Amino acid sequence: MKPLLVIGLGNPLMGDEGIGWHVAERLSADPRLPAGAEVACGGTDLLRHAARMEQRRRVIVVDALRDDAEPGSVWAWEERGASGAGEPSEPGGAGASACQPVLSPFAGLDNRQENAHCLSAVQAIQLLRMTVAVPITLLGISIPIASMQAGLSPELAARMPAILDRVLRELE
Amino acid sequence: MSKIVIDHLARVEGHGGITVEVEGDTVGQVHFDVFEGARLLEPLVRGKRFDEVAPVLSRICAICSVAHTLTSLKATENAFAVRVSPQTELLRELLFRGESIESHALHLFLLAVPDYLNYPSAIALSADKPAVVLLGLRLKKLGNLIQETIGGRAIHPVNAVPGGFGKAPVIEQLIELRSALMQGVTDSDAAMDLMTTLPPADFCHCDTVYAALRSPSLDSYYAGDEVMAVSDGSRAIVHANDYKTLTNERAMPHSHAKHSAFREKPFMVGSLARLTVNPRRLTGKLAVAKKRLKLQLPADNPMDNNKAQALELINDVERALEIIEQLLRAGVKDEPPVPVQPRAATGTAITEAPRGLLIHSYTYDAEGRITAADVITPTALNAASMEMHFRKAVEQSAERDDAALSRKLQMIARAYDPCVSCSVHLLRRQ
Repeated sequence: MKPLLVIGLGNPLMGDEGIGWHVAERLSADPRLPAGAEVACGGTDLLRHAARMEQRRRVIVVDALRDDAEPGSVWAWEERGASGAGEPSEPGGAGASACQPVLSPFAGLDNRQENAHCLSAVQAIQLLRMTVAVPITLLGISIPIASMQAGLSPELAARMPAILDRVLRELE
Repeated sequence: MSKIVIDHLARVEGHGGITVEVEGDTVGQVHFDVFEGARLLEPLVRGKRFDEVAPVLSRICAICSVAHTLTSLKATENAFAVRVSPQTELLRELLFRGESIESHALHLFLLAVPDYLNYPSAIALSADKPAVVLLGLRLKKLGNLIQETIGGRAIHPVNAVPGGFGKAPVIEQLIELRSALMQGVTDSDAAMDLMTTLPPADFCHCDTVYAALRSPSLDSYYAGDEVMAVSDGSRAIVHANDYKTLTNERAMPHSHAKHSAFREKPFMVGSLARLTVNPRRLTGKLAVAKKRLKLQLPADNPMDNNKAQALELINDVERALEIIEQLLRAGVKDEPPVPVQPRAATGTAITEAPRGLLIHSYTYDAEGRITAADVITPTALNAASMEMHFRKAVEQSAERDDAALSRKLQMIARAYDPCVSCSVHLLRRQ
């Protein structure tokens, strides 16, 4: 079993909402992918991957983030024990030092019971804490809107190389 | 006039969840808006070859990807008059059971039980009652294991193909599944124990029409081509090919999903409908459990769908065990899929997804390419019935406090276990 696992969440038929899925697909074919990393296209239910996470050294979850930031910006929420720390950073890394650490593993993200029959990645990770003792990093990629269409918008597709660079840095 | 708006059930901009207008004792407009992704996917499969259709449509929903895949295959096989082997039928039914175990465990433990016990979420519940949440996670994992073993991967099964299975499971895998299901028997019994301790949810009563796949001699989510609608003692049968006489869909200005009505009445699909239409499933252990839950069929309370899911959870685990024993006794053959000969034809399939009837209907040209597709999901079928029950709940409530009414409406919505917009998955900032 490889020590690192990257799970890209999203639906590739929902336009930019599928960015996590597209990142996983591109990453799995990227020659720069470290030998110790496994990549999975995860769909929309992170809990379904609980068994796959066990025994890893670290898991990185990539998901779409609906916000007003520039499309393609990458924000990282790094779990650091019980206190945790938010560490938002943009693809080039310039934003990392601009934000102060905060006291919740996923500070600033909506934690409501949003969907009637499925849990958000934030909620799923909190529940996974009951059974999976692996550090999980959440990477949110800013998208402007989710809409039904196959493939990414040209705007987000153009940012893909920078997004991949940022995700690969996370695997170093 | 006050307006109750519950918009966080919806996840796509412009689709507003539940809206109810109340003035004194009078209930005005009641609207439930579903983002119905299936409708938008239909154009994406036009022109696709018959073997490309199921992988696309399985992405309508991550929780129901097995149901969409297998219903799609069944519709295609019906169009081309393909008859799959008994082994394929068993493996497909086993896949359905895995999906149902996972979906019911997720819904009951992580979404419904927190409602009953007055917790805002499963995370809050886990802080006080971790054993309850862990039980749900174990059962969900069992359902995942079945789907991954038989379907070939965790989501969107790749082993199920037109005419059969690309790769059948080996004996060792079935033995491993049997062992996991033995623990599942204990866990589903514990789930039933928990359900009998939940406080009652008696805030909505009305006569309801139920519709489900009819399986007189089989306990099946997959086999069968007839739907039975049950209403106040009367019964009607609709063949899959005539599904439009059941659904009678009409567009609603307030909802992305069309509304369905059978003989002018909304109808409910899902676990409660399945047990109402097929009461012969409730024998032995299930009959005892039904009595413990104080469940009367046909029910007049939509909240009883949660009880019906708990009964199905027990039945799904037992049925999955039976299928595995059957496969182990007969031995799993390495049989190739039945060859498919495309032709210009229409094929329709109806199955039971975890949250109710699922309909796929395709028209193919002579080369086996899709010219028209119609996909109707259980949540769309339930939309009109949900609105009816929301209205009744508000009319029958002595409370006029918005927060109290809002809580009841959300509990009813969750009892239906709707797929409000599950094809979408997003993080959002606070």
